[in-house]
Amino acid sequence: MNIDFLKRLLWFTVLTVAQVFVLNHIHLFAVATPLLYIYFILLFPRNYPQWAILLWAFVMGLTIDTFSNTPGVAASSLTLIAALQPFVLQLFIPRDSSENFQAGMDTLSIPQYTWYVAILTLIYCVVFFSLEMFSFFNVFEWLQCIGGSSLLTVILILVVENVRRR
Amino acid sequence: MHNLTEFLAKYKHWFLFVALEVLSMVLLFRFNDYQGSVWFTSANYVAGLAYEGSSKVTSYLTMGEVNEALTKRNLELEQQVKALSAQLYDKTKDSTFLHKGQYRFLSKFRLIQAKVVANSLDKPNNFITINKGTWDGVQKDMGVACGNGVVGIVYMAGIHYAVVIPVLNSKSNISCSIQGRDYFGYLHWNGGASDVAYLDDIPRHAKFKLGDRVVTSGYSSVFPAGVLVGKVKHVYNSEDGLSYRLQIQLSTDFGNLRDVCVIDDASIRDQREVIKAAQDSIKPIEEQIGNKAQ
Repeated sequence: MNIDFLKRLLWFTVLTVAQVFVLNHIHLFAVATPLLYIYFILLFPRNYPQWAILLWAFVMGLTIDTFSNTPGVAASSLTLIAALQPFVLQLFIPRDSSENFQAGMDTLSIPQYTWYVAILTLIYCVVFFSLEMFSFFNVFEWLQCIGGSSLLTVILILVVENVRRR
Repeated sequence: MHNLTEFLAKYKHWFLFVALEVLSMVLLFRFNDYQGSVWFTSANYVAGLAYEGSSKVTSYLTMGEVNEALTKRNLELEQQVKALSAQLYDKTKDSTFLHKGQYRFLSKFRLIQAKVVANSLDKPNNFITINKGTWDGVQKDMGVACGNGVVGIVYMAGIHYAVVIPVLNSKSNISCSIQGRDYFGYLHWNGGASDVAYLDDIPRHAKFKLGDRVVTSGYSSVFPAGVLVGKVKHVYNSEDGLSYRLQIQLSTDFGNLRDVCVIDDASIRDQREVIKAAQDSIKPIEEQIGNKAQ
C-alpha cells in the first residue's frame, strides 16, 4: 500500500462515481456522452508496469459495465486502450525526460497533449460503440456517437487536466 | 525450459492482455443467455444499493410531474368506474356485483410494489433495475407494469434487486392485441423515440381504427390479458407485405418511471409450467432435425 496506489484508487473512485451518477445521464443531442473514465488510463506514467495498467483498466471497465448493464463492453475497450497507452505515450515523450515521465499539460505542450488525448479517446470510442451497437447496426448513428462522444470526452479531459495541473 | 520461462516473463503483459480481452468477450457474448451472470449487472447488491441512493435524491426533482400524471390518471379511472357501474346498474339493477367482480379479478394476482432505481432510454438495449428481488417474491419472466401501462419483463432476479427488460429493448417481445377486436401481434422496439414501439404480425384482414387501444393479449405466460400498452398511431405494411405493422404510442412514460409493480399471477405460473413441460417434451425432436431448440 504505497502512496501511489492510494492516489490511483482515489482517482478510480472519483472517476467511477462521476461517470455512473452524472456523466452517463448526459446525452448531448442524443448522441454525445462524455466518457471521462478514459482519463484514468491517460494518467499512467512511463515505465509503469504494463500488467498493472491492464489490470487497473480491466477492473475499471468491469465496474463501469456493472453499473450500466453492458457486461464486457467497457472492460474490453478499456483493456485495449491500456495496452496501447505506453506506445502512444512513447510518441510524445521529449528527448531528455525523466524515467517516470507522466503526460500532462505541464510536461507536454498543449497541442501535443491534446493529440495524445484525442488518439486514445478516438480508438476507445470506435471500439466501445462498435461493441455496444452489435445488435442493430446503423452506420450513421454509429459515426455520430463516435464523433460526438470523442469530442465531448476530449474537451472534458482537457478541462479536468487543466484543473489538476494547478 | 529456461528459455520458455524467460519468454513468458518478458511477454507476460501480452498474455494478460489477451486473457483479459477474452474474459470481457465472454462476458459480452454470454450476457444474453447466461442467467448466472447477475453479478456483473446492476442486479448485484452493491450496484443496486448505490443506484437506490441516487434515485431517492433525483425522484424528488420530478415528484410534481409524477403527482400530476397520477392524479389525472386517477380521475380518468374514477370516471370510467362510475360510467361502468352506472351501466351495470342499469342492466342488472344490482350494485353488489361490481364489488364482487373486482375482488375476484384482483385475488388472482399478487402485486409486488417496487421502485425503479436505475433506468436508461437512449441505448439500443435498455434495462431497468428495480429494488425488489427473489426475497420479495420476484422471479424471472414475471411481468412488470406501472400505473399507466405495461413496462416490461423481469430478466434476472438477484436477492434484493432485479433487472427488467422494458419495452424499450430490441429483445423485448410482448404479445399484444387490439382491444375489442382481438387480433394479436408482437410488440417490438428498434431504437429511436422512447414513446413509440411497433406491433408486428397483425393480419391484413384485421379491422381497426387509428387511436384504438392496444392491450396485452394474455397469450404469453407473462402478462394477464388487458394491461394497457398504448394506442395505434400509424399503420405500415410489413416488409414482406403479408401483415400490418402498427406504430404504437406507448402509454407508459419511460423517461419518468418511479413506481412499478411486478405481477405475480398464480394461474400464469401454472400456465408457464405447462408450457415449459411442453417445450421440454418436444425438445428431442427439434434437436434431431437440427432446429434451434432454444
